[in-house]
Amino acid sequence: MRFPVRFVALLLILAVVLYPLVWMVGTSLKSPSEIVNNIGLIPREFTPANFTDGWTKFDVSFGRFFLNSALVSLLTVAGNTISCLLAAYALGRLRFRLRGVWFAVMIGTLLLPGHVLIIPQYILFRSLGWVGGEWPYLPLLVPAFLATEAFFVFLIVQFMRGIPRELDEAAVIDGASAYSIFRHVILPLSRPALVTTAIFSFIWTWNDFFRQLVFLSELKDYTAPVALTLFIDSTSESAVGPMFAMSLLSLIPVFLFFVAFQRLLVEGINTSGLKG
Amino acid sequence: MEPITRAGTPAQRTTRRRLLAAALTVPLLLGAAACGGDDDGGSGGGTELSVFWWGAEKRAELTDKALALYSQKHPGVTFKKTWQGNQGYFDKLATLTAGGNAPDIFQLDDNYISEYAARGVTLDLTEYTGNGKLDVSKFPESLLKYGEVDGKLAGVALGENTQGLVYDKTLLKKNNLPEPKTGMSWEDFISWAADVSKKSKLPGTQDPSAVYQALWVFLRQNGKDLYAGKQLGFDEADITKWFALWKGARDKGATPTPDVIHEGNASDVSKQLVATGKAGTSWVWANQMPELKKSTDNELGLIAYPGDTSAQWARASMYMSAFRGSKHKDIAVDVINFLANDPEAGQILGTDRGLPPNLDVRKQVAATVEDPNMKQTIAVMDELGKKYGPNAPTVPPQGHSKVRSELIRVAEEVIYGRQTPEQGAAAFVAAAKAAIGAS
Amino acid sequence: MTASTLTPAPVAPAAAQPGRRVRRRRENLAGYVFLSPWLLGLLGITAIPMLISLYLSFTDYSPLIPLTEANWIGLENYRRMFTADQSYWHAVQVTVTFALVAVPLKLAAALGVALLLNRTMRGISVFRGLFYLPSLLGGSVALAIVWVSMFNRDGAFNSFLALFGIEGLPWVNDPDWALSTLILLAVWQFGAPMVIFLAGLKQVPTELYEAASVDGASPWRKFVHITLPMLSPVIFFNLVLETINGFQGFTSAFVLSNGTGGPVDSTLMYTLNLYIAGFVDLNMGYASAMAWVFLLVIGAITVVLFSTGRFWVHYSDNEER
Repeated sequence: MRFPVRFVALLLILAVVLYPLVWMVGTSLKSPSEIVNNIGLIPREFTPANFTDGWTKFDVSFGRFFLNSALVSLLTVAGNTISCLLAAYALGRLRFRLRGVWFAVMIGTLLLPGHVLIIPQYILFRSLGWVGGEWPYLPLLVPAFLATEAFFVFLIVQFMRGIPRELDEAAVIDGASAYSIFRHVILPLSRPALVTTAIFSFIWTWNDFFRQLVFLSELKDYTAPVALTLFIDSTSESAVGPMFAMSLLSLIPVFLFFVAFQRLLVEGINTSGLKG
Repeated sequence: MEPITRAGTPAQRTTRRRLLAAALTVPLLLGAAACGGDDDGGSGGGTELSVFWWGAEKRAELTDKALALYSQKHPGVTFKKTWQGNQGYFDKLATLTAGGNAPDIFQLDDNYISEYAARGVTLDLTEYTGNGKLDVSKFPESLLKYGEVDGKLAGVALGENTQGLVYDKTLLKKNNLPEPKTGMSWEDFISWAADVSKKSKLPGTQDPSAVYQALWVFLRQNGKDLYAGKQLGFDEADITKWFALWKGARDKGATPTPDVIHEGNASDVSKQLVATGKAGTSWVWANQMPELKKSTDNELGLIAYPGDTSAQWARASMYMSAFRGSKHKDIAVDVINFLANDPEAGQILGTDRGLPPNLDVRKQVAATVEDPNMKQTIAVMDELGKKYGPNAPTVPPQGHSKVRSELIRVAEEVIYGRQTPEQGAAAFVAAAKAAIGAS
Repeated sequence: MTASTLTPAPVAPAAAQPGRRVRRRRENLAGYVFLSPWLLGLLGITAIPMLISLYLSFTDYSPLIPLTEANWIGLENYRRMFTADQSYWHAVQVTVTFALVAVPLKLAAALGVALLLNRTMRGISVFRGLFYLPSLLGGSVALAIVWVSMFNRDGAFNSFLALFGIEGLPWVNDPDWALSTLILLAVWQFGAPMVIFLAGLKQVPTELYEAASVDGASPWRKFVHITLPMLSPVIFFNLVLETINGFQGFTSAFVLSNGTGGPVDSTLMYTLNLYIAGFVDLNMGYASAMAWVFLLVIGAITVVLFSTGRFWVHYSDNEER
């Protein structure tokens, strides 16, 4: 009895939540004048050409932009999960001097609105020779490997604090060092946090616009979100149809990434088996 | 995190803050110097210039072609081209400039040219016009002047436009309504629009209270101006008159409801009400008419803004400027000269940025234009051009973009009925004064 | 804590043992070893721009001039902000309203859907993905067009209302309602906290539920006495983060209002106002001052949240912070 209720509730919510996206699909199939004048769900005249036009509109095919985005996103995922996990283990589980201070500083770095940091960062990264160099993605990637995204550090800390302390205590009594506790106790139990970190890193990097816009200057290096803005210039007629088409396509990789990583969460972890 | 309580004599404080500034910036500058070699040309001894502009994909294609032609004529010079839509363009340009890394050549508009020129970002092109490296002899004089900031030529217009009123011909024909005419008075225009609303059930005109270039023309027709040097060229009474004029029009039903007016106040071409079919007339720039046409199946017509057309002027729709810190200033100027004056380049660029600035090139391009809407635009602009008054406005001062956004905010307060025209006028004058730093 | 009967009894901290000091020192060292990448990032990447922005907040810096040419103007930016800038206070008001309404609604939506989705059944990943889809859109240009089309006068929402004979308003273009559509957009994108809740739910030891079932506890009792306490660190995390995000809300306000905060400043969020000051009006010194005031205020709010957390957040590591 309870199952259908839950299921129906889910479907209803889902219908409301997804309606705008379905509308987007409809619009991606409309012709330019229909986009302006017909705001209904169904296009009067199907224009699948938006997809092919969007894909090939620029000198560099949209596939290249997706590849660039994938590269940047995957490397950011690697950087964030590794570096933030290490920092979170220190801040969440180890006792060392000034820990409270560092934790507060870490939270503090979350609080400053990013727009005032872009220019100092640009100046800094340029002085380090990272901007427009051989590898245009350095300014986007190096910070990820140095755990500058405090959000994830905080996230993993909070998850780690949910891991029963007696596990460490038991390991300590067995003579384990902080490193082996990390390796054998914390790491396996942190999977939900790491998967969550990976998912968010990927999605947010995939969608990040401002930093990528500022640091990338060559068409062939553009990522998908930067390339999407090439469709829209408010001073002339905009290619809304192709833009919608490419926006939808660019949802697919993130969606797949999400579903794939979600599986890792579904299996769950039964901490009880590990209790000493 | 407690920066506020600091003791010490002023001198001590000065020293301290100098030290602070130095401590923060010296490593950066050293770093910048250490890797400054990166900027020197490309491989093989050639010269690479960076060029940055906003626009749609079509503009990119045309500009690419024109630059390729330059490279072909000047082997050894290549370009690193960056373009994007105008959203985020000025954010990125400001960031690049802050990093001392502005492109050698970049596109500006009259919204920002004073900001860049006054802070010494743009190269003063005056001396290049003197020694013939930059040929401006075929430019309309007022258009050239419109690139001067504080007596320095900050940018070369790559396109000219002027105010244009675009109306929906099909709508009028369907309802047996007369077309509006260049030269009709503001009152006549409003009655015409009210008539259109009544007969066609579609609001006759967008309410232009928030459209700065309409206000500007209106002021000039009343012997005033938007700016007088670095001061405002109008007072509260003028603005009250303007807001009251349109309040009257709204009361007569000549304009759409406030929410639709707000929609049309977006600067996007594609959101103009004449294109979205939500009003009969939109207040735009003449050269935007062909773009508007792409969003609608209806026939469009183009006339000047109401009142005496000699109040309109040749405005630079876009400039190309060179970076004062460029390592290749002379070549940068030569490229700009090429884009503005070379007949072949002009033919390639066409009317994408506005009418070509060089009158010879313009004539040649006009002769080959095929798009009937662009033909109409050129005809109207030619006609208006003959009547432009002698005292064309100079380029707007620093703070102009703020004045524009304040006008939209205050005008909408009045449109939504939250302020009276008088209150709005007082608020706008105060805000505009603050924006340009006027007394 | 009410759940104490259901959760394992806390183990007393390990009693004094031989070699405790050595262990301390080792743990100290280990702490810094693990922290080192973050420290390097903090000192090399995060701190310098932050300090520069702090310095700039006392200057009239514009991005178009070299950093070193910024003029020191003391507390002028702060004075202007607090005494002379009406739009500043207006933005504060908009932001507080937004955060107070959007954050609880978004968290409730996220937790509700997460509970519904916390099931092992075939295709559940896809289901979760579908609920996450709106968040995947982020703040793209497409999103603005979509939202306007939903909530304009002739939008889908009003067509829906018309079914019940209600005549809708031009929500997005009505100064009295535009902020509500922005809030709704934030709630619609509840995917991120939902995923965090789901991950947190997975960490609740199943034997607690089993034990409670044996005791005959109702689902509601299980939720209140097991799920909520065990989930509290994650609820706390989401609350802190969404509060910070709520106050920082920029992207959706930016895309929906075309970067203006309109109509008539009704969606002028704090960070949007700050962005306009810095990048549109090119007064980055003033923007920096706004940013630092923001940091101090939100920092204070965060401290308050952390101190209340002590009373309701249940950590399995039995450690006070």
